[in-house]
Amino acid sequence: MPLDLDPAIIGQEFDRTVEGPVTAEELVAFARALGETRPEYTEPGLGLVAHPTYCVRFRGGRFYPESLYKLIDVRRGFDAGKDIQLGEPIRPGDTIEVRSTLHEVYEKTGRTGSMYFVVIRFTLVNQRGDVVAVVDNRFMHR
Amino acid sequence: MAARLGFDDVQEGDELAVRSLFLSKDQVRAYARAGGQWSPRFTDDEGARREGLPGMITPGNMSMGLLASFLEDWAGPGTLRRLGTTFRGLVLPDRTIRLCAAVTQKDETARSIELDVWLESDEGERWVLGTATLALA
Repeated sequence: MPLDLDPAIIGQEFDRTVEGPVTAEELVAFARALGETRPEYTEPGLGLVAHPTYCVRFRGGRFYPESLYKLIDVRRGFDAGKDIQLGEPIRPGDTIEVRSTLHEVYEKTGRTGSMYFVVIRFTLVNQRGDVVAVVDNRFMHR
Repeated sequence: MAARLGFDDVQEGDELAVRSLFLSKDQVRAYARAGGQWSPRFTDDEGARREGLPGMITPGNMSMGLLASFLEDWAGPGTLRRLGTTFRGLVLPDRTIRLCAAVTQKDETARSIELDVWLESDEGERWVLGTATLALA
């Protein structure tokens, strides 16, 4: 463990927040901002579903577990990347429960010194209990 | 539903036709608004400079979104199952970017394919790298 972090908190859920309901207008605006014109993503109606990366909008109520704020200056972090695994499509009217866990913490040493990477996993579940996406957010801190 | 690419239409080593697009500041602002990322670093040059950046930048999430649309334009809506990215450089708007991908592996059992994907500058500097999985019919 690179930081003075209790290893027991790895994998523990630290937040559970319900967001939504998702509106058709939000889905269309998101898709159009990416230049989408396909009806599946831009035309309100029964066939409308969210663009596959809409899931990255959901961030839960707390971004990091409380104990991490004491060890890391979160204001000096950078978004280093994301990994999304898609499940059921998000549709208008869905509410999304965001289950947040501290998935991984690791250290890398580069030319400019040590960097800490924090991976927060958001498991997104709709009101029917279907997983719509698992999103791993990787943040880099110096 | 638009036509989807068939599993048998794809071979390992296939490269997608590169898509060049001009990424305007207004488009980035529209994404920041729609994506819930309305922050000076994504919307305003002066605000971004106050954060130590050279000017407003494109959210990493938007780069992912552009890559996802690029892949589904090729294979059809609903085919993307996984997308993993590393944000290596600042994607500055008001310039041309290129979206690229190549098929690296086919899985006969799952009827899925793996791809390397990347977003690069017009000069070929790779700012976003990633891999993707698509499910094909």
